[in-house]
Amino acid sequence: MPAPLPPPDFATGAAYPQVSTARAALAAGDWSALRALVDAQDPHGRTFLVDHVGDGPEVGEFLQRVYAEQPEDPLAGAMLGAHLIHAGWRIRSGLRAQYVSREQFAQFFDHLRRAEQVLIDVTARHPEEVAAWTQRVTSARGLEVGQAEARRRYDRLAAHQPHHLPAQTQLLQQFCPKWSGTWEKTHAFARECAEAVPPGAPNAVLVVEGYLEQALDHGNTAATSEFLRLPQVRGQIYDAAQRSIWHPEFRHGWGWVSVRSVFALAFCLMHEWTPAAQQFAALGNLGDDWLFSYLGDGPKEFQRFRDKAYAKGGRP
Amino acid sequence: MIQQLETDGVPTLLAPTGGPMRAGLTFRVGTADETLARHGITHLLEHLALAPLGTADYHFNGATAPIFTTFHMQGSEQDIATFLTAVCANLTDLPTARLEVEKDILRTEWSSQGGAASDDIALWRYGARDFGLSSYPEWGLARLTAEDLREWAARWFTRENAVLWIAGDRVPEGLRLTLPSGTRQPVPAASSALPTTPAYFVEGSRAVVLDAVVRRRAAVGVFADVLERELFRALRQDAGLSYTTTTGYEPRGDGQVTLRAIADALAEKQDAVLGGFIDVLAKLRVGRIEQSDLDAAVAKRVEMLATAEVDAARLPDYAVNLLTGQRNLSLDEHRAELKAVTLAELHEVAQEVCASALLMVPDGTRADWAGFTPAPTSSETVAAGTTHHSRDDDGRLLIGPEAVSYLGGGGRLTVTYAECAVMLAWPDGARQLIAPDAIVLHIEPTLFDVHPAAMNVIDAGVPADRRVAMPPRDPESIPQPRAVREIREYLARPKRAWWEVLLMVLSGLATLAVGGFTLLLVIGMFIDPELDGENWMWGVVAVGWLLTVILALPIVLLTRGRRR
Repeated sequence: MPAPLPPPDFATGAAYPQVSTARAALAAGDWSALRALVDAQDPHGRTFLVDHVGDGPEVGEFLQRVYAEQPEDPLAGAMLGAHLIHAGWRIRSGLRAQYVSREQFAQFFDHLRRAEQVLIDVTARHPEEVAAWTQRVTSARGLEVGQAEARRRYDRLAAHQPHHLPAQTQLLQQFCPKWSGTWEKTHAFARECAEAVPPGAPNAVLVVEGYLEQALDHGNTAATSEFLRLPQVRGQIYDAAQRSIWHPEFRHGWGWVSVRSVFALAFCLMHEWTPAAQQFAALGNLGDDWLFSYLGDGPKEFQRFRDKAYAKGGRP
Repeated sequence: MIQQLETDGVPTLLAPTGGPMRAGLTFRVGTADETLARHGITHLLEHLALAPLGTADYHFNGATAPIFTTFHMQGSEQDIATFLTAVCANLTDLPTARLEVEKDILRTEWSSQGGAASDDIALWRYGARDFGLSSYPEWGLARLTAEDLREWAARWFTRENAVLWIAGDRVPEGLRLTLPSGTRQPVPAASSALPTTPAYFVEGSRAVVLDAVVRRRAAVGVFADVLERELFRALRQDAGLSYTTTTGYEPRGDGQVTLRAIADALAEKQDAVLGGFIDVLAKLRVGRIEQSDLDAAVAKRVEMLATAEVDAARLPDYAVNLLTGQRNLSLDEHRAELKAVTLAELHEVAQEVCASALLMVPDGTRADWAGFTPAPTSSETVAAGTTHHSRDDDGRLLIGPEAVSYLGGGGRLTVTYAECAVMLAWPDGARQLIAPDAIVLHIEPTLFDVHPAAMNVIDAGVPADRRVAMPPRDPESIPQPRAVREIREYLARPKRAWWEVLLMVLSGLATLAVGGFTLLLVIGMFIDPELDGENWMWGVVAVGWLLTVILALPIVLLTRGRRR
């Protein structure tokens, strides 16, 4: 009998040690160390670190101070903007709009407006700062500035960085019906991104995210499974896997944990336990519970599906 | 070079031209000098002065702007002399016989105007007064009398308040400017209806419009060009969101310049046009201004100064500067100032533009997320007075001795009688009061639980000179409360002819009788087994039912016919 599996580690720092280093620098108030670390990353890593600075009040105070002293530093503005957006979204909670109170909405919008005004200045000064543009794609959604405006922001970003997955993930959310988009638009954008990248790039995961959003919208697991197993949907998901996780060129770069977790969830919901188990195995002890949380308690659901996949699909 | 002379006491500007002679007589008076209750008086006077000149085959016209009014003409020296002499004569001795005809012409002119996207900006920035009046219809026309016009002419259309300008080689012979003496009138102080700027308001015309007020200097014109280039690149070239992106500017006469920028938008792209517009402003505000844009804008303007007709072309502006006490530059000074414009100066203008900005955004969008404050759409205060409830919703009208308020879904609207800019009064009792801050309170007495005596309080409170009588309305267009609408609909429902009703009653009775009898027969047959044995009885039942259906037919047919 195999030893019981230790619970997965969802901490971002576990998968990406730079996140822990960055948070430590933030906690120590060491701006130059933080800046040097972030400047050393590729654009995806830069956006990733900016997006994971945390929403604690002490972080906010520190970033406010740095931004006040160095308003022309794109990193300070982008991080402050990201921090305000996260803090705002935590107040709003991830619930559907009808379950969010008036006061929560007022504070949420207030945070987002403050973030937006900082980010407007950052992108005005540094139009190539994709980390700030990525945050503006997110704030566009929360502020409900409109579909065309969100797209315009993404296009400004893409002019400098054409295959920026973190921004594409945010825009894909905007195109979902829950944010006044349509499924046609969602899937078209996912395909557009997936087809534009070199083989082995992670961007095809957007296709799966789009179908998972639509499938999970059905509300019950049976209907969700049925939708994902439609030959046409299954074909698209397999095609996306061939382009990304199953491609020999696929690398464990920034965001890879999320990519494999999304595929694992899709395979589980399709009752394709062997490929699901393969993804869980490739993740090792890591995981991203983002889409799993649509089904309930994210970490628990992740663990439940992982156990089931290993039991039915075998542990490679 | 522009020469300055004098004609009959009127300062006269003369500049050479290679084309036909042009001349204009400009006065320091315009819509900004009026009040809303008398709005249109300058325009009416301008029309009256030209009216007797008829349809002569001249190229002449008049124009009324916020701070000046001009009569101009192109033609022979003789024609120009005759034209301007006649205009002055008409201004001093008004052809008031044509008063009512000209009023009608002006009303037609107003109603046939297409209306530009930016027409309402002035009232949002300034309110229902001075520079805001250009947004309003000429409501003053109705009550203006010949005496009002004579007084207006005597005050504003004077020698000291005029400048004559001529593109040609000399002052036309025989020209006589017989104007009364008066004083040079200062430019009115600009009011503000905006507690804070940058501000925005929502108006659905598929365009984003920027209005800003900045200190006048050479860099402003250059900035307008730079902004236009940026808007073109961001909204048209890069993103294909707008078709037209234009900028323009106009001195306000008080050392400030009004700068405008417009970007049109397709309905489904208007949010992106707004976002792109805001990003362009932000780019310039943080000082990321391209040297190549500055160079191109300066070169274009310097080139314009080098054309042969430049002095003749700038005569009208030169005249307004003279009338408003603003500096007039020689061409060399102009060139030197333009060439001295730096990126730092443009950056300064950009910051002033953004700080004073009033943005008009399309319906369904907002600009608070970008730091623009919504322009006020409700009042600060509430009138103390008697409450009158709306007949349809929970709106309330508070009529007091000094002011009237409406409290309802849209917020609170208050107009103080003493300050009221205008009260439009319809014969059916409806009133529309406009406060100096442009807040509009429209009262339909039919929709409130309000006695005529209460409405009289308003009428008595508003000074008589603010009251403008409106023409009667079609009774159909007077709004009615829901209960009245429902009663009217009930009374107006289609009615049946008497014979239809009679036929339906008879057919109903016959159906009931025959149907009832047949039904009893059937029941009887079930109860009494003896009757059941008789086959002919079943025939009677069948015929009975058939007859019932036939007799019921008129009711069915008449009801269905009515529904069609």
